[in-house]
Amino acid sequence: MTGDLRDHILEGTYACIARHGMAKTTVEDVARQANISRATVYRYFPGGKEQLLRDTVTWEASRFFEQLAAATAGAADFATLLEEALLFAHRAVGEHEVLQKMLQTEPATLLSRLTIGGDRLVRLIKAWLAPHLVSARLRPGVTVESAGEYLARMMLSFIGAQGQWDLTDRAQVAMLVRTEFLAGILESSP
Amino acid sequence: MTLTESAAWTPSAPAPAVALGVDDRIVAAALVCISRWGLAKTTLDDVARQAQCSRATVYRAFPGGKDALVQSVAQGEVARVAAAVTGRFAGADTLADLLTAGLAEAARQLVRHPALAFVVAHEPEAIVPWLAFERGEELLAFATSLAAPHLGRFLPSAEARRAAEWAARVLLSFCVCPASGVDLTDDASARSVVTTFLLPGLAPDR
Repeated sequence: MTGDLRDHILEGTYACIARHGMAKTTVEDVARQANISRATVYRYFPGGKEQLLRDTVTWEASRFFEQLAAATAGAADFATLLEEALLFAHRAVGEHEVLQKMLQTEPATLLSRLTIGGDRLVRLIKAWLAPHLVSARLRPGVTVESAGEYLARMMLSFIGAQGQWDLTDRAQVAMLVRTEFLAGILESSP
Repeated sequence: MTLTESAAWTPSAPAPAVALGVDDRIVAAALVCISRWGLAKTTLDDVARQAQCSRATVYRAFPGGKDALVQSVAQGEVARVAAAVTGRFAGADTLADLLTAGLAEAARQLVRHPALAFVVAHEPEAIVPWLAFERGEELLAFATSLAAPHLGRFLPSAEARRAAEWAARVLLSFCVCPASGVDLTDDASARSVVTTFLLPGLAPDR
């Protein structure tokens, strides 16, 4: 029940951010949007607006990675899973209206929350990768922990910037995964 | 006024000055002030006092005021860090040595930079736009152009460009968001990342 109300408040905050942006959203707006009192918002988020913004960014990021996990669930092997994840994430970030609007209007406000919560994003991706790594044949000296840490960071880096790669091109993505993601991790390339 | 609005990532290579000119003294003073008080609170008065010159002298040297001064500080520091890193490339005899030395030196320069540390801790909004999306792309491109010619000693040029960007990603990730068990400022830890994750994915003879 309490978890539901917390989610409800985060959902309300997200709606406010989508409408007014992060800078202009107030605790008052969130309370009105969620149909609850300001006091209730503060009970769940004692840190007020700053905590609401930070937790909403993390909440939306979690939803993003849930969608990513669902979209890649049928992948035949680990390399294919990572390819699908990169293709999906790159496309989804480009199509994410609220994210794109924030990047246009208040990139610093958004990105400082995203990077302050960066370790949470790394943990999210690691948790998603862990079961796949447990059943993979890892090269000597590589552990599920170290591989997960490395791959999560590579994934985040490529979601943030594709650099000289074209992440809409499946052949390039396959090449990228085979070399920079997995060459050091898997015992034998698939 | 923030770094993000003013800094250009193309380092101008300043001519080595035997004695610091007044411009250099003002830039050095501004760097000290930013380390102490941050970007927002540093004033041209503070800088003048630190540089032991008059406010008028600061304005004469930087007619663009604080924005122009901060831009000069940023360009100067980018050039200095770039020179420190590329200086370490020169002594490397193998691809592994070059990547290790470059990563470790860059990590030490970034993590132990007093002004950068202050801004990251207290004014992150001035620096984070460089970490992803439009400016993140620019930063990766800059790092690539810096390191690729040196990596080209051991790799074909396309592969060298790829390796340079890859190393920049690893550097930024572990500096921005530290991990337990990886400390790139430590040579042994940097070497372990290089030999475990990077080298197997690079093809010297491709």
